[in-house]
Amino acid sequence: MRTLDPAQFARRSFVYRRLVGHGAVFADMGGGVVAEHFGAAEAEAVSATRLGLADLSPLPRIGFKGRGALAWLSGQGVRGLAEDNRADRQTDGTRAARLAPTEALILSDLTATSRIFERLTTTWRLETASQCYLLPRGDSHYWLHISGEHAAAMFAKLCGVDLRPDRFAAGAIAQTSIARSNAIVIRSDQGSTLGFDLLGDSASADYMWGCLLDAMAEFGGRPVGRAALMRLADGASR
Amino acid sequence: MKRAPFRLPAQIGERIDRSRTVSFSFEGRTYDGLAGDTIASALASHGVRVLSRSFKYHRPRGALTMAGQDANTLVQLTEEPNVLADTTPITGGLEVRGQNYSGSLAWDRDAWLNAVGRFLPVGFYYKAFYKPLGAWRRWEPVIRARAGLGEVNLDTAHRYYDKAYGFSDVAVIGAGPAGLSAALEAARAGLDVLLVEENPVLGGSLTYARFDADGALGRQRLAELASAVRAESRITVMTGAVCQGLLTENWLPIIQGNRLHKVRARQVVLATGSVEQPVVFRNNDAPGVMQGSAAQRLIRHYGVRPGRRAVVVTGNADGYGVALDLLDAGIEVAGILDLRATPPHEERTDAVRARNVAIYPRYAPWEARRSARGILKGLSAAPIVGHGKCEPADVRLECDLLCMSIGYAPTAQLLHYAGGSVVYDRAAATFAIKSAPAGVIPAGSLDGAYDLETAIADGRRAGMQAAAGLGAPSRGEPPAVRGKNASGWNHPWPIFPHPRGKDFVDFDEDLQVKDIRNAIAEGYDHIELLKRFSTAGMGPSQGRHTALSLARITAEATGRELEIIGATTARPPYSAEKFGHLAGRGFEPVRLSAMHHRHLEAGAEMMPAGLWLRPAYYGPKDRREAAIREEVEAVRANVGLIDVSTLGGLDVRGPDAAEFLNRMYTFAYANQQVGRARYVLMCDQTGAIIDDGVACRFHDWHFYVTATTGGADRVYQTMLWHNAQWRLDVDITNATAAYAGVNLAGPRSREVLAKLATDVDLSAPAFPYMGVRMGTVAGIPARLLRVGFVGELGYEIHVPASAGEALWDALLWAGAPLGIKPFGVEAQRLLRLEKGHIIVGQDTDGETHPYMADMGWAIAKKKPFFVGARAIEAQMKRPLQRKLVGFTLVDPAEPPPEECHLVIREGAIVGRVTSAAFSPSLSRVIGLAFVPPEQTEPGARFSIKVAGGRMIEAQVVKPPFLDPNNARQEG
Amino acid sequence: MKIMPCPLNGPRNITEFACAGEVRVMPDPAAASDAAWADYVFMETNGAGIVREWWCHLPTSYWFIAERNTVTDEIVHTYPAGDVFSARRDFAPKPGGGA
Repeated sequence: MRTLDPAQFARRSFVYRRLVGHGAVFADMGGGVVAEHFGAAEAEAVSATRLGLADLSPLPRIGFKGRGALAWLSGQGVRGLAEDNRADRQTDGTRAARLAPTEALILSDLTATSRIFERLTTTWRLETASQCYLLPRGDSHYWLHISGEHAAAMFAKLCGVDLRPDRFAAGAIAQTSIARSNAIVIRSDQGSTLGFDLLGDSASADYMWGCLLDAMAEFGGRPVGRAALMRLADGASR
Repeated sequence: MKRAPFRLPAQIGERIDRSRTVSFSFEGRTYDGLAGDTIASALASHGVRVLSRSFKYHRPRGALTMAGQDANTLVQLTEEPNVLADTTPITGGLEVRGQNYSGSLAWDRDAWLNAVGRFLPVGFYYKAFYKPLGAWRRWEPVIRARAGLGEVNLDTAHRYYDKAYGFSDVAVIGAGPAGLSAALEAARAGLDVLLVEENPVLGGSLTYARFDADGALGRQRLAELASAVRAESRITVMTGAVCQGLLTENWLPIIQGNRLHKVRARQVVLATGSVEQPVVFRNNDAPGVMQGSAAQRLIRHYGVRPGRRAVVVTGNADGYGVALDLLDAGIEVAGILDLRATPPHEERTDAVRARNVAIYPRYAPWEARRSARGILKGLSAAPIVGHGKCEPADVRLECDLLCMSIGYAPTAQLLHYAGGSVVYDRAAATFAIKSAPAGVIPAGSLDGAYDLETAIADGRRAGMQAAAGLGAPSRGEPPAVRGKNASGWNHPWPIFPHPRGKDFVDFDEDLQVKDIRNAIAEGYDHIELLKRFSTAGMGPSQGRHTALSLARITAEATGRELEIIGATTARPPYSAEKFGHLAGRGFEPVRLSAMHHRHLEAGAEMMPAGLWLRPAYYGPKDRREAAIREEVEAVRANVGLIDVSTLGGLDVRGPDAAEFLNRMYTFAYANQQVGRARYVLMCDQTGAIIDDGVACRFHDWHFYVTATTGGADRVYQTMLWHNAQWRLDVDITNATAAYAGVNLAGPRSREVLAKLATDVDLSAPAFPYMGVRMGTVAGIPARLLRVGFVGELGYEIHVPASAGEALWDALLWAGAPLGIKPFGVEAQRLLRLEKGHIIVGQDTDGETHPYMADMGWAIAKKKPFFVGARAIEAQMKRPLQRKLVGFTLVDPAEPPPEECHLVIREGAIVGRVTSAAFSPSLSRVIGLAFVPPEQTEPGARFSIKVAGGRMIEAQVVKPPFLDPNNARQEG
Repeated sequence: MKIMPCPLNGPRNITEFACAGEVRVMPDPAAASDAAWADYVFMETNGAGIVREWWCHLPTSYWFIAERNTVTDEIVHTYPAGDVFSARRDFAPKPGGGA
C-alpha cells in the first residue's frame, strides 16, 4: 500500500494530525484518506477486539431533515426508518439511522463502495424534495468507531446512558452527552465484536479523541485502523 | 523496630499476610506491621493505643470502633490530613503522625484545656466571641490552631481521580448477612445486582462477631452466603466502596479508590446494618475503652490482642460473645458488668458462665481510671439502683481493655438522605425505621433484625421485594419475617452521669452529659436545635455514637416521650470525601476550527471565545501591540485573512424561510433578492439585542444566516422554540461546525481571490457589495459573501469544514506574493470599531434595545410581528434613558479609557464606555459609549472617569470613524 | 439526579435538558395591551401543583412539553410540543404595513 500524506488532499479528517502522530498509514477511499493501520494491522485486529479507537471521518455519510425527510428517503429506496433512535442495515451495506421523526442519517460501510451518497446528493433538490432538507453530515460531524469488549465500560466513564451490550441492542442509538459534548452513539458491532459508532460536532473531534484515549488507557485501548475493523467484520461473514 | 507483643497466632479469616512485613512510622518511630494491617491495627499490635487528641480538651484518644466510624483515629499522613487510621492500610515507608496537639501526642502541651473544661461551656464560642465587633477575627486563629484537625500539605502531588456511571437493577448497600441474602434473591430472580461493601471483604458482622458458643455459626453462614454470591454472575461486587448518598431517583454516589461511581439503580436494598453504641460514664473516652465489636475486629481481622486484661460491659448476649472471643484470644477477663438484673439463659451467656468469669449483674461502669498519660488502667463499678443512678462504687477492677456491648443504633444515614425516617421503638429500645420511600427497601439489623437468622431471612425478603417491585417473575411470596425490633438487644438506659463529668456523649466534640443538659436548660430543647447549639453529632462521626444518647438525655430533661423527641436528620455525604472525587477527571470541551493548527504554526496567541479557541494576534506576547498594529495595517493597506469558522452558520430552508426570518429578526427579508445578503439583528422577547449577523439568500427558499461565535447555539435553540409554536413550513439547521470560514479583507483581496476562484465573476458589477455567490475556490465548493465587517473590500468564504485547512493554505499561497497577513480577533475588533460596528454583548447589554443602540435603521416598522417588537414599541412610549454614540477624546495625547469606565455628569453616573481603542489608521482614540439622549449630537462633550478617578473629556462623533461613505468596502 | 422522560430519547439524566419556563400562549401582539404583553413576557403563574413547562433535550435540540408537579417535583407526563401547538400561527398585517 502506498503511504499517503493527508495534507496533500483538500478534504482532511478532523483528527488527521492525531493520526499522523500515532504513525498512521493512510489509504485513499475516494475523496478522503482514512487511517488504514498504524504499522501492524494484524496486532491491531486483536487490540480492536479488546478496545480500539478508529477514525472513520473521511467515509461517506449524509443526513436529511424535515417533516418530509423520511418519506422522501423511502421513495429513494431507503429501508427501515420505522423507529426513532434505531439504525437499519441496507442491502448495499450502508446503514440508515432514524434520529427523529423528522431526521435521518445514512452511514457508509467500511468499504465505501455504495453509490447511494452520490445518488441522493444529485437527486435531492430543494424545490422538489418536499419538506426534506439535505444535511452535510460529512462535515458537521466527526465519525469515530470504538470497538471491543471493554467499549461499554469505557463509555461508562464518559456517558450517562447505559450502553452495556445486553441493554443497548445492535442498531440502537443514543443521542446524548459524551464527556460534556453532544454526540450520537450507534451500536454497530463489527462481526461478533462489540462496536459503537460515535458522531459529534466536527469542531470537537480533537477534544473527543483526547477524552477517549484517556478513558481507554486503563483497558489498554489504542487507535486502530480501518483494516483492523475490516478483519473483525470479515470474521463474521466467514 | 520492635517485635509486635500483641500479635496473636493466625485467626480464621484474618486479613493480614503474615509472610509480608511492612515498615512504617508513627510519630517519628518506626514500626513493623503486616501486609493487610491498617495503621491502627499495626499500632495496636505494638500496644500503641493513643492515636489522637480530642478536639476541645486535648484528651488522648484511641480506637473506638475499628470500623472507620469515629473521629478518634484521624491521623496525619505526609500528603493527606484526617485519614482514618482504623481503615487505612499501611504501606512501606508510610509516615503517620497524630493530629491536634502541641509538643507530642503522648504529652500534649494543650492538655491543660482538660483541666479548665468547666470554663468552656456548651455554646462557648457563640457566647464568648460575638462582641465586640471583630473579636472573632482576633480569636479565630488562636482557636483554630487548637481546635483544628490535620494540616493540608500544599505540595501534595496531583493524583488522577475520575468518575464513572453505573447501572443496576438492584443496588444492595452493605454485604453483611442481610445484604448477601438480598443480593442472592434478587439475582436469582434474573436481575442485575450491584453489591456495595465498605470493607475490603464481604460478610459484615459475619467476619468478626460471635453468634454461638463455639463461633462456628458465623463462619458457616459466611462461607455459604459469600460463595453463593461469588458464583452468581448477575451480582457485581464492589468492595472497599462507600456509598456516600442516596439521591433523587435512586442515584448513588459510590467512592471506590480514586473513582466516584454515579450509579443509577431501579431498586435499592439498604442493608447498612447498625452501629454498636457506647456507654456514657466518666472517662468513657480513655484509650482502651472500645466497642465490643472493635475488640472482635482487632482479633478476627488482624490477629491483634486488644489488651491484656479486660472488662466487658454488656446488656445483651452479644457481649458474652465478645467475652468468649477475648478468652479464646488469651485475654484475661476480669469481669463482666451486666446492666441487667438477671442475665437470661442463652448459649453464649451460659458458655461464659461455664468458664468461671466473674459476672456482676446490675452493675454499671462508674468511672474509668486513667494512667498519668490518660490511658485506661482500671474501672470502678457501681450497683445500679435506678434510671442511670448508682450506689457508691464498690468494685474496682484492674484492666487495660474495656469492651462495651450494650446495644445498637441503625445505620440509617442513607435512608434519611432518601427521605425515610426513624422513630424510637420502645420494645427494641433503639431507633427503628418508620418510613422508607418507594424503591428503597431496608433490611437486616438496619431494620431491627438483630438476630443472625432473622437478618438472613429479612435479607431474602428484601431481595424478593426488590424483584417484585421490578416485575420480575415471582419466586414465591416474600416471607413474613418474625422477631424484628425485639427486646433484649439494646439496653434502654446505658447512661451513668458522674458528678465530676467527663462522661462523654459525643467524643468528636468533647460533649459531656452536663453540656447537653445545660443546652436544654437554655431552651434548646428541640433535638435539631440542640444538635446545632451544642454541636452534638456534628463532628466527623456524624452522630453515629451520639444520636441515641442525645435523644435519651433530651427525653429525660424535658419529660417528653422518646417517640416524640425523634432523631436528628442525617445529610450526605456518608463519610468524608475528597475534592478530587468531586472534581473527577474534569471535562472541558474545546472546539477547534479546521485551521487551528495553522494558527499555532504561525505563532498565534490563542484566546477563548465561547467553547472555541481563536487567534487573538499572531506573534509573541511581548510583541502584542506591534503585532495587532501590523495586522490592522495589512488589512487597511494590503490584504489580510482571518479565520471566522467560529461564527454561527444556520441554514433556514423551506417555503416559509423569508417569513420565518421576518419574525426572528428586526429587518425585512421577504423582498430580499436571491444572491444578496442583509444585516440581521435579533432581539429577545423583552426587546433586548441578543445577536446579529447577515442573512444570505441563496434561493427563494434558502437563507444562510450567520450568528455570533458565542450566540450560535442559543440562536438555533431559540429559533426552534419559536417555530415549535408557529409551525411555519421551514427547516432550521445549525450548520456551524459543517463550515469553515475565512474573511479575506483588504484592498487587494480581490486580487488574491481571483487567483483561486475559477467560476465566480469577481468584478465589482457582477459581484457587488452585499452580494453572495456559490462557487468554487481552489476547487473547493464555497459560499462567498461580499460583506464588510472590517470596512474594506472583502470576501467571507465558507467551505466544508473538512476542507477548511486546504482553503487557508490556498489563500495564503495565493496571497504570498502580495504579502498577505493573517490577522486575529484583536485586530478585527479595532477594525470594526473604526467602522462603528457593535459587538453584541460588549456594546450592548441585557437592556439594550435597537433604538438605544442607535440602530433604529435595522427595524422594519411595517412588519406584523418580530420577536421583541411589541416590547420595543412599549418602551419607546417613554423617553430613551441612554443611547450608544461614537466618541473621540478632546485631548489627542490622552490614552484610551477602558470598557465600563463611567460617563459622569454633575457627579452622577449617566453612561459608560463600551469599546475604546487607539486607531492607528486615524491616529486618535475612538470608542463607543452610552450617554444621555441630550448628549448624542455630534460635537457634544461628555466626561469619562478613568482609572485613578481622573476625568477626561470626550466628544461625540458620528460613526463610522473611518471612510464614512464606505467607499473602501463597496469599491 | 432526576430522570426526565424525553418523548424522543426516552429517560435521561436531567442534566441533558434545559427548562425554558411555563408554556404560555403568546397573546395577539396587535390586540394586547402593554400591560398584558409585559405579563406574558415577564410573569409566570408559578402555581403549586401541576404546571406545563418547556424543556429542551440539548444533545438533539428537541423541544417538548413536560407536566411537572411543583409540589412533589414529580414529572407527570411529557409529550411533543405539536400536541399543544398543532396549527400554524400567523399574525395579522399591520394597517398599511407590507410584508
